[in-house]
Amino acid sequence: MDRRKFLKSTGLVISATSTALQLPVSSCQMASSGMDRKRKLSENKWGMLIDLNRCSPGCTECLTACRRENNVAFHGDERWDVHWLRKVNLKDHQTGNKKDVLLLCNHCENPPCAQVCPVQATYKREDGIVIVDHHRCIGCRYCMIACPYNARFFNFKENPDWPNKDYPKRSHGVVESCNFCAHRVDQGMKPACVEACEKSGNGAILFGNLNDRDSDISRKIAATPVKRIREDLGTEPKVYYIGL
Amino acid sequence: MEVKFAKIEAKSPAYFIAMAVLALLALAGVYSTYQMHVHGLYLSGMTNRVPWGVQISMAIFYIGLSAGSLVVSGLYGIFGKLEYKPFARIAAYLAMLFLIAGLLSILTDQGRVDRVFVKPFTYFNLSSMFSINPSLYSGHIMICIIYLWALFREKGRLTKIASLTVCLWAIGTHTGTGAIFAFVPRELYNSSLLPPSFVAAALSSGAALMILVMVALFRLTKRYLDPSLVIWLGRRLLAVFLLCALYVMLIENAHRYYLAESHEAGYYFLFGGFHSFLFWIGLIFVGSVVPAVLLFIRRTGESIPWLVFSASLVVIGVLCERFLIVVPGLTHAPDLFPGMEVTGTVVPEGIVTYSISFMEMLQALGVFGVIGFLFLAGLKYMPLAPTKALANNAVSAVTESELRPSASVA
Repeated sequence: MDRRKFLKSTGLVISATSTALQLPVSSCQMASSGMDRKRKLSENKWGMLIDLNRCSPGCTECLTACRRENNVAFHGDERWDVHWLRKVNLKDHQTGNKKDVLLLCNHCENPPCAQVCPVQATYKREDGIVIVDHHRCIGCRYCMIACPYNARFFNFKENPDWPNKDYPKRSHGVVESCNFCAHRVDQGMKPACVEACEKSGNGAILFGNLNDRDSDISRKIAATPVKRIREDLGTEPKVYYIGL
Repeated sequence: MEVKFAKIEAKSPAYFIAMAVLALLALAGVYSTYQMHVHGLYLSGMTNRVPWGVQISMAIFYIGLSAGSLVVSGLYGIFGKLEYKPFARIAAYLAMLFLIAGLLSILTDQGRVDRVFVKPFTYFNLSSMFSINPSLYSGHIMICIIYLWALFREKGRLTKIASLTVCLWAIGTHTGTGAIFAFVPRELYNSSLLPPSFVAAALSSGAALMILVMVALFRLTKRYLDPSLVIWLGRRLLAVFLLCALYVMLIENAHRYYLAESHEAGYYFLFGGFHSFLFWIGLIFVGSVVPAVLLFIRRTGESIPWLVFSASLVVIGVLCERFLIVVPGLTHAPDLFPGMEVTGTVVPEGIVTYSISFMEMLQALGVFGVIGFLFLAGLKYMPLAPTKALANNAVSAVTESELRPSASVA
């Protein structure tokens, strides 16, 4: 092959390659414009603010409401009980101060559970809610290993109770966690725990759209010193606390 | 030198008893897995705080074992060391079986076994180590089959290519397996040294097991095995792998213990409970230091009974190590509220314990039963085992009858 032929064929190969590459590039652009449209559809980013100073120690209204609304299994054995929402009592090492903290799925912006799920059964919705597809979960429990907040629970046993017939219960063998009552939120309602807390008169839990700067939750987060649990992990939780 | 392979006769009562026991174990495993599938995994010793237990530990133990077998097989396959040709087939077959055992252990541990065969393929998640690894494992098994076929058909070139591919693939497989743990934000898991440490321990346990299998096999079938081959495997291969594994593990723990941010977790691992006993006695003393010394001393390192003893210790040590990878990282809780103490809770928040249940044990034994059965059946129906193994080609001129019985496996 002489030099001219070589240059010619090289040129051909390069132009052919670049033409071939053009196609996926343009289809990528199309896909991303579709994504934008989708993003506009869900302008919400749901978050929660829990004011620990207003949470009264003996009150369990939110816990009961959550369990009833979502048919969360309670077997009476701490090894296998499922808690989408749970209260822990803390004591500060230095000051000796005691407080109760409400714990639930943090609906992380970077959820490690969704990252590790081998079947994409755990995923983050566009409105930020981290949710489990219980028809897809294979029960490998890798998400429980990856969750740094111990917020995920496995159905070790069949759940005998089914108080809320409007919402499914889960079979044994799948993992579950708080989903901000997505089924209620989608209908414009508040999560069951928030409603119950309001009814009890404490009003310690605020739920709202973090994308909207004028929402109650965004303004309160901007005005008050808030904390999230283990922010150092880079998971960007969307559950904020006052008084932690 | 022509190496001859032959099926084993398998007519002794011992063979049939062994097959029957293994089949019973396998059935017990099927029974317990069925029970768990119907009634739930509460029948295992696992809890919401320790969601992985024996089966995952055994899975990574088996997967690790396959590496060492492949390396022994690769001595002939890749490096053309003719004296190791007798081991090549059986090592490749074992590597395949161990991978199957690993996959079976993972499979039987799932909450919804019925979904495992479809969902991971239709909803593949590239960012999940649990998605990537099964692809690595199944690829591994496929290459092992091709490799075995090449060995059976004496395809020189294909043997070399398949052997090299499967050894490189094995590094991927074992790094991936280590990454299942290393790539999650848990204090005792999250360490970039875990994958290399996993590979090192895999190689040492695999080489040790090969020594045990080869010596036992040749002895039970009354075939001749040149001691110098086993001595080389022990004093060269196993010893090097063992020291590498020990080294990486020491660095990993020292680093964790030294840094203030992980000191508490490091302390828990080293001195925090029963698992610490497994670490110091099972892994460090029995599984590493004693065999290392025994291999180093010429008198014990060159005696077959001592070599077998050392190899058994290494396998026990790595079994402890696998358990130590999985369980302490879970029983040690992530510290959600630094500087504060949890005084009341509905789920155990602090350090918890894990105990193995009988049903879980049956599952683990069941997997052993399955691969043990397949191994013995393989020996009977495939020409896996060589009729003899000699270190020096020149010795092949000597007929078997001329070899003193005392020179065979001691």
